[in-house]
Amino acid sequence: MMMRENVLLNMRAAYARLWVRIKGGNREPQWLIAETIIPIITLSAYIFLYKMVKAPPEYSGFVIIGGTMMAFWSNVLWNMSAQFYWEKEVGNLEVYLVAPISRMAILLGMALGGFVNTTLRAVAVFIAGMYIFQVPFAIYEPLTALLIFFLTIGALYALGMMFASLFMLYGREAWHTANLLQEPIQFLSGTYYPTTSQVVPFMVQLLSSLIPLTFGLDGIRKVAILGLGISDVWPNIVALAVFTLVLLPLARQALRFMENLGKKEGRLTLRWQ
Amino acid sequence: MAVGTILRTVKQAMWLGWKVETNWADPLVFAIYYLIRPVAGLLIVGFIFLIGSVVSGTVDSGLFTYLFIGNSFFIYVVQVMMTMTMLIHEDRAHYEVLKHIYLAPGSLSWYIVGRALNGVMNASVSLLLSLGLGVAIFQYGLGINIPINWLGIDWGILGLGLLFGIICFMGMGFILCGITIMTSKVQFTLPEYVSGILYLFGGVVFLPEILPSWGQHISNALPVTYFLNIVRFSFLHQANLDVQMNLLLLIVTVIATVLIGLAVFKVAMFRARRNGLIDKKEEY
Repeated sequence: MMMRENVLLNMRAAYARLWVRIKGGNREPQWLIAETIIPIITLSAYIFLYKMVKAPPEYSGFVIIGGTMMAFWSNVLWNMSAQFYWEKEVGNLEVYLVAPISRMAILLGMALGGFVNTTLRAVAVFIAGMYIFQVPFAIYEPLTALLIFFLTIGALYALGMMFASLFMLYGREAWHTANLLQEPIQFLSGTYYPTTSQVVPFMVQLLSSLIPLTFGLDGIRKVAILGLGISDVWPNIVALAVFTLVLLPLARQALRFMENLGKKEGRLTLRWQ
Repeated sequence: MAVGTILRTVKQAMWLGWKVETNWADPLVFAIYYLIRPVAGLLIVGFIFLIGSVVSGTVDSGLFTYLFIGNSFFIYVVQVMMTMTMLIHEDRAHYEVLKHIYLAPGSLSWYIVGRALNGVMNASVSLLLSLGLGVAIFQYGLGINIPINWLGIDWGILGLGLLFGIICFMGMGFILCGITIMTSKVQFTLPEYVSGILYLFGGVVFLPEILPSWGQHISNALPVTYFLNIVRFSFLHQANLDVQMNLLLLIVTVIATVLIGLAVFKVAMFRARRNGLIDKKEEY
């Protein structure tokens, strides 16, 4: 197949998967409502906790930004990484595998569709959080904030693509692993507090630096709440770009390896594991 | 139904629940799994508290202990809600066995109680591990004084609080079971809604006095508030807490919750049978 045709075919596959994701993600209004309200409930508890200890109001802003970004992490985890597990359970995975397209095209479609859906929810969480808790924002460089945001999303989805290879093979382990990557990642990445605080032990800070979300959250908070600029957050920008550039090729390799392993062990179409 | 049949149903359901929950991993991986999530949850609120306190200039160990006990024991709410909601979905749509359980001589309600008790058992394991690790990390690692006399726990009060609390959470779980059997695709969000609201208004990690007045009224109507007050009293013996009144309020709210739970479940099962929902297929 000519390279141009190949690219077009994969783009069409990505678009098809994107369409299904957007349509499927928004056809249940109760999901849309739940995915907006549930994070606000949790965020409210953490904001009240900060209020109880009389922390400055910008800490409430940290919580709201963390909760907003957590929507994207949940999307990466459940609607991208774990998606191959669901597809296997419903019998779609073999259809993807026999189609003359790259697995990365399928994942790209999922990522873009998931990004659109999650952005709708994240914006709602952000606005509601801002309105309810009157958090002071100080954005002097919106383009820098957007740059960090998109770099964070790129790195997270690249990480999600890499995890997807694992979920292709496993059964209930995949479900439990996705569960396991929620609170521990929230803790390590400092979703609701700055990991640079003196209270956070060095080992935790070291571990947190292995997660792209940590750099994204830190950068966005600095620009959106503390009013800093690109000269203060350039290390975050470099780190996020490096994460994306390293994780994407790794994801491609991992998918190929796991697919071959799955074929050898006959686990790609195994249900009810 | 004969007591023997009920006990056998509950025992078999617990055993089944244990197998479903654990046989995907070897015991060590399973233990780590059951440890990591609650401990990470505790670390999140612990660090929010610490970082906020250090910034504001005072670390109140009494408030930390309040949070530590509340967050640790809240695992029962999360686990029972999640177990009771997911089991209807899994047994009906995923494994397609709900119709067989419904047809068996044992009652479906007692089967659900057995599965919920397995959730309680798992929650107890998580609780013990997270209490131990929490003390190790916060008291010995980060130097926060947790003023609990571990040899002076009032086991009688703690046992009563746990007993009524667990019955209450099962009552709530029956409401969720009823809703799940009548609907589809809400099994993931429903327990999160309920446990999220209880977490926010139940005085779990912050004092309900911080809430606006309408929020305090909600807090006063929730059994989880009294459950956690009683549990905290059994550890801390606060002189300013009327434990008898809290116990009485817990019992009253438990009775109301259980009656509502059983009524909702009964109506839901009646309608589910009439509308052919007991073996409803979903995405699997």
